[in-house]
Amino acid sequence: MEGIPLQLRYTVPEKGYEKFWEGLSKNEIWATKCRKCGTLYYPPQRDCTSCYTSELEWVKLSNRGKLMTYTVVKAKPQGYESEEDYVIGIVRTDDGVDLMCWIKGTPRVNSLVNLVTDGKRVVGEILDV
Amino acid sequence: MRRRVGIVGVGMSKFGKRDDVSVRELSWEAIGEALQDAGITQKDVDLVVAGSTAYRGVELYPAPPVSEYSSLTGKTPIRVEAACATGSAAAFTAINSIASGMVDVVLAVGFDKMTEVDTQTSLAIGGRGGNYEWEFHMYGTTFPAYYALYATRHMAVYGTTEEDMALASVKAHKYASMNEKAHLRNRVTVEDVLKSRVISWPIKLLDSSPISDGAAAVIFASEEKIRELKVDTPVWVEGIGYGSDTSSIARRGEWTSLRAARDAANMAYSQSKRSPRDVEYATVHDCFTIAEIMAYEDLGFAERGRGATLLREGQTEKGGKVAVNLFGGLKAKGHPLGATGLSMMYEVTKQLREEAGPVQQQFKNYVALTHNVGGTGHYAYVSILSR
Repeated sequence: MEGIPLQLRYTVPEKGYEKFWEGLSKNEIWATKCRKCGTLYYPPQRDCTSCYTSELEWVKLSNRGKLMTYTVVKAKPQGYESEEDYVIGIVRTDDGVDLMCWIKGTPRVNSLVNLVTDGKRVVGEILDV
Repeated sequence: MRRRVGIVGVGMSKFGKRDDVSVRELSWEAIGEALQDAGITQKDVDLVVAGSTAYRGVELYPAPPVSEYSSLTGKTPIRVEAACATGSAAAFTAINSIASGMVDVVLAVGFDKMTEVDTQTSLAIGGRGGNYEWEFHMYGTTFPAYYALYATRHMAVYGTTEEDMALASVKAHKYASMNEKAHLRNRVTVEDVLKSRVISWPIKLLDSSPISDGAAAVIFASEEKIRELKVDTPVWVEGIGYGSDTSSIARRGEWTSLRAARDAANMAYSQSKRSPRDVEYATVHDCFTIAEIMAYEDLGFAERGRGATLLREGQTEKGGKVAVNLFGGLKAKGHPLGATGLSMMYEVTKQLREEAGPVQQQFKNYVALTHNVGGTGHYAYVSILSR
């Protein structure tokens, strides 16, 4: 028999992270840094859980980095069905932060990458020839 | 552990696309077998720990209906979840409940009916097995994609190849063909694996465990109770170690090894005063073929980067230095998330009791291990069992 479908509709809070989401339209990648102990958080956090303070400042990450690993996604999940095949990568920025992004160009581990944004996410453009 | 704990009964349902049963009958297949195997009845059980991820089945709170169907009402106050390591989380809870002195006989049952939703929905649920906001939402991650990130890095750093990974699949299917309870009983070749559909490169369909329905149950008891019941061949829990890691895959810092699994292994070796060399039989978490290669390294069976060598040399086959997954592994036996960890204990118990039929490994010291990873190394449990 057919079960009754369950539709889950979510509303996700963005409060405190506006700077990050706005950056995605301006080729800017923002992290947070604790004013007290200097710990850098990416993904950004509102709280420094090392020294129990909420005194964090926004810092812009470098747009240059190196591709650590990647995968070409062919079987796509719900919500991404209409996308062309996409490449998910992990890039280590020049400031030493590892971040997830989509990769454009022909990927190779250790490729140099220029990080931009497409309004929704960080995108790494492969710089190697 | 304060009190010694042993396994006195095990049961496992047939794994596969089980559209012939609901989660209730499916679980009873395992529970009924475990009770009969132990020679006890429901009234002898002090506590039931249910393990199920439950997200893909129509019963979102499945422990009460399973418990009711199996005449275990009144004994099941908890359902645990640790993604693909849910079964081991149930075992962990059961073992500690006995070791603490609180109870004497605990039934851990793990089950999932994963095929009640369609594949795309299943991928979307698995893709959330990391961090929704910072990874799934923005990048459309899937569960195969997470492991593919590890595979690509392992290939680049250590020279592991797609052919190496394919060997793990060939081995799994070979042994599953001898296991009547396995999900996929066909044999495959390296070429079949390499030619199969790409899911998330470098992971292909035949590098991946299937989406399975299944249940497994293990009955644990205190040493006192084991003496009282006069159990012939108890299997002793010498140690159960755990580990965990970041939700965000990007924050791991390395993508060639699972820290959670290394931590769990070190803890289990230390508790049991055993070393990797003592282990004669192991079940490892081969949800994807790269995971089996990393498991060999994380468990200390091979040096870092050299996991594929064991496959190439056949050292993890039956009769090898350490036989691995002779019931077919997650890859071919099947991987119903909640059941997997307990089905590993079922397998190791059958092996240690020498009840494994055509795939019986010969033991000298009767020491075996289970390695169960949840998510992409978000959780891990390693247990050492002996006879």
